[in-house]
Amino acid sequence: MLTRREFVKLVALGSASLLLGCVKRQSPVIPTPTAKETVAPSEYKAEFLLGYGKDHKLKGGKWGIGFFPKIHVLERLVEYDLKEDKLIPSLAKKWEVEKNGKTITFELNRGIKFSDGSELKASAVKFTVEWLANNHPLGQETFEGADAIDDYTVSIYYKEEGFFNLAKMAEFHMSIMSPKSVKPENSPKGEFVWPIGTGCFKAVDYKEEQYAIYEPNPYWYERFELKPKFKKFVVKFIKDEDTRVMALKSGQVDAISDFVHGGSAYTPRNQLGILSSMGYKVFKRNIPLTWIIAFNYKKEPFNDVNLRKAVDLAINRDDIVKIFDNQVLPAKTLFIEVAPGIKEAKAQGVVYEFKPDVAKQIIENGYKGTRVDMIVDKSQSDQILVAQLIQQQLKNVGLNVKLEVLESGAYRERRDAGEYDLRLYYVGGTDRRFYMRMFWRFYPGQKWSAYVSERTGELCKKVLGEFDENKRKQYLVEFYKAIYDEHGVVPLYFDIMTAVTAKDVVADYYHMFHYPNGTPFGEPLFYYVGVKA
Amino acid sequence: MKRYIAKRLLQTIPTLFGVSLLSFSLLYLFPGDPAEFVAQIRYGIEPSPQVVEEVRRELGLNEPFLIRYVHWLSHVIRGNFGISWTEGEPVIKLIMQRFPASAELFFATFAISIAFAVFLGILSAIYKDKAIDHFCRIFSLLGISIPSFWLGLMLIWIFSVQLHLLPAFGYGGLRHLILPVLTWSFSFMAIKTRFVRSCLIEELSKEYVVVARAKGLKDRVVVLRHAFRNALIPIITYFSLSIHHLIIGSIMVEVVFSWPGLGSLLVESVFKRDFPVVQALVLISGVMFVFVNIAVDLLYAVIDPRIRYGE
Repeated sequence: MLTRREFVKLVALGSASLLLGCVKRQSPVIPTPTAKETVAPSEYKAEFLLGYGKDHKLKGGKWGIGFFPKIHVLERLVEYDLKEDKLIPSLAKKWEVEKNGKTITFELNRGIKFSDGSELKASAVKFTVEWLANNHPLGQETFEGADAIDDYTVSIYYKEEGFFNLAKMAEFHMSIMSPKSVKPENSPKGEFVWPIGTGCFKAVDYKEEQYAIYEPNPYWYERFELKPKFKKFVVKFIKDEDTRVMALKSGQVDAISDFVHGGSAYTPRNQLGILSSMGYKVFKRNIPLTWIIAFNYKKEPFNDVNLRKAVDLAINRDDIVKIFDNQVLPAKTLFIEVAPGIKEAKAQGVVYEFKPDVAKQIIENGYKGTRVDMIVDKSQSDQILVAQLIQQQLKNVGLNVKLEVLESGAYRERRDAGEYDLRLYYVGGTDRRFYMRMFWRFYPGQKWSAYVSERTGELCKKVLGEFDENKRKQYLVEFYKAIYDEHGVVPLYFDIMTAVTAKDVVADYYHMFHYPNGTPFGEPLFYYVGVKA
Repeated sequence: MKRYIAKRLLQTIPTLFGVSLLSFSLLYLFPGDPAEFVAQIRYGIEPSPQVVEEVRRELGLNEPFLIRYVHWLSHVIRGNFGISWTEGEPVIKLIMQRFPASAELFFATFAISIAFAVFLGILSAIYKDKAIDHFCRIFSLLGISIPSFWLGLMLIWIFSVQLHLLPAFGYGGLRHLILPVLTWSFSFMAIKTRFVRSCLIEELSKEYVVVARAKGLKDRVVVLRHAFRNALIPIITYFSLSIHHLIIGSIMVEVVFSWPGLGSLLVESVFKRDFPVVQALVLISGVMFVFVNIAVDLLYAVIDPRIRYGE
């Protein structure tokens, strides 16, 4: 048994060693630069620091890496230009579509190198396709296989026909990686260990939930005849959005950016105006991601198109965007104006309007005193505010909404059981996901759908199947019109993608949202930034 | 004494069994389909019902509860908490990666909070209903009422944004530790200060204190050597049992300061429905609580000579 004196000594010793442990702790060791080509001009600081809300998962593991490195470390065969509704060359120089899209043969650009110095060849594309087919559901449902015809030509075989195959190649997950990214090397069933890509950054260090460190990929900068303005690009993971903003204000990071996937972990919209007025540079891009009201249209009362119309006409979108300090645009069309077919549909009168008197009349003529349930996912805090405003707007026209803010799991349970009348949801994504999410939201038989009727489902199939741009646009216009006529969903506001940089950061809108060759990107890119020394 | 310890350890078996059952049941108590959450996080897409079903089969979620529980328990007993559903890494590895940060934050907060809580509690008790007591009462009230996340953000605003003295976030040296510890200590010590005060006031009202004072002992000796020592048992019990805060107490602080500790791991795992991690953390927290309880019981004999076990 310890004496009291011994006990006190023991406790004192324990506490002292604990405190000593705290004091002696070193900051994470950052490896010294290795790439001789990545010397930043002396007028810029060697390090660029970005605050970001999500882990980059650089180790990959079984299921691959995060969205940020997919954009910055890897590249894709094609990119998608939303404005032109065109798939444009990226790693692939050109392609040939056979058997209505069951086979697409891509010819690769020559001289493109991975960050480890090895050349991009058809074998790497074949490997990526096979790895995805073995490890990723999107790959499994898309690819039949691939063949390297020669060093720079690869044929990819798809399970289904249609334009959607080509559109999918611009998707995040279809990024091309070096066969050395997996272990064992070149194994289609291998475990993803470290991303090696052809993109602007080379991943050099990573600590889960703390930081990811990149260096400029010298081969990428050489390809585009650019010089990087930093030696290291350090991304600090800061989960809390307010802390992220304060980290920028305190000078601990040079920039903060939205989660490139869109829809979450973004800079609070009501801070953007304040930051801008304080001299920070706010880069903002409208993306084809639209927040909507989704109906439980398969049961009463919203199986009645008239009631859906009443909800549609009761919503004052201009008021909704005030929640976001007017930083986002009210959605008076299904997608932003530059999205394919939107202008044409608008010209044909597909415009969502605010007509509370008409809405009131519809409700008085058959739905007076009706009470409906609206469910909201608690994890989307902005949506709670939006839902509260919608509740008030619907009350103004005589529709009583019982609002239930639910934990994510409970929300999904209610959604799957169909125990709701209204819910907030989104359609679209960043540009590259425009068609992908059209499939998830409007294609018949999808679990994550927003609205499908015989007419809209058929049109969605036609859109995703059609290679001819003009015909596809025509189908899209018809599709928007069908959704509008049937009041399938109620668009509320368009989401944005933002990056905010400190005053001494060299950055501009063009480079933030375009590749050096002019390809537009929906996600912010950081290859061009630098901090003045 | 040895018999007492052995008896107490034996008594922990049903408790631990109950804790394990409860930890495991979380999987079935949480709303939503974990397979859907896991599929979405793993693959970064909106998974089809087929993919969800495949993930469900892979995770063994179709197996009956008892079979899963026995399988899980048989591994846990051998120290194997399984593989994280979303990270694909051993759960114990994930926990050990986060443990140093949590321990650092907790023990620094614990040490500072105790020192201040005892000091302020004693002052409040000695100067009951005087200005200093009122000050401590307001201080405690604020500590209890102010949410940690708000206080954390205010401290970041003052010390990082305005004064540029301390880092706003992250895990690193001592400078990174100051703001999270300050934030957490404020609420951590608030209730404890009140607790020390009330225990000491109760002791000070007892007759042996009157006798000690009548004997002409100095106030300092009466309070510290007599009354405070007697008040120590409830205080130590209360303080020690806050060990479970090591895992769950710092959640808000960890989120605000991007501190990579066990609290944020627990929250993330709950949101991701990564049940092997949640189960392990809840189980470890429960086991720690049980063993600290035993240790505290044994401590009583050290603090108070009147207490003897097994005699």
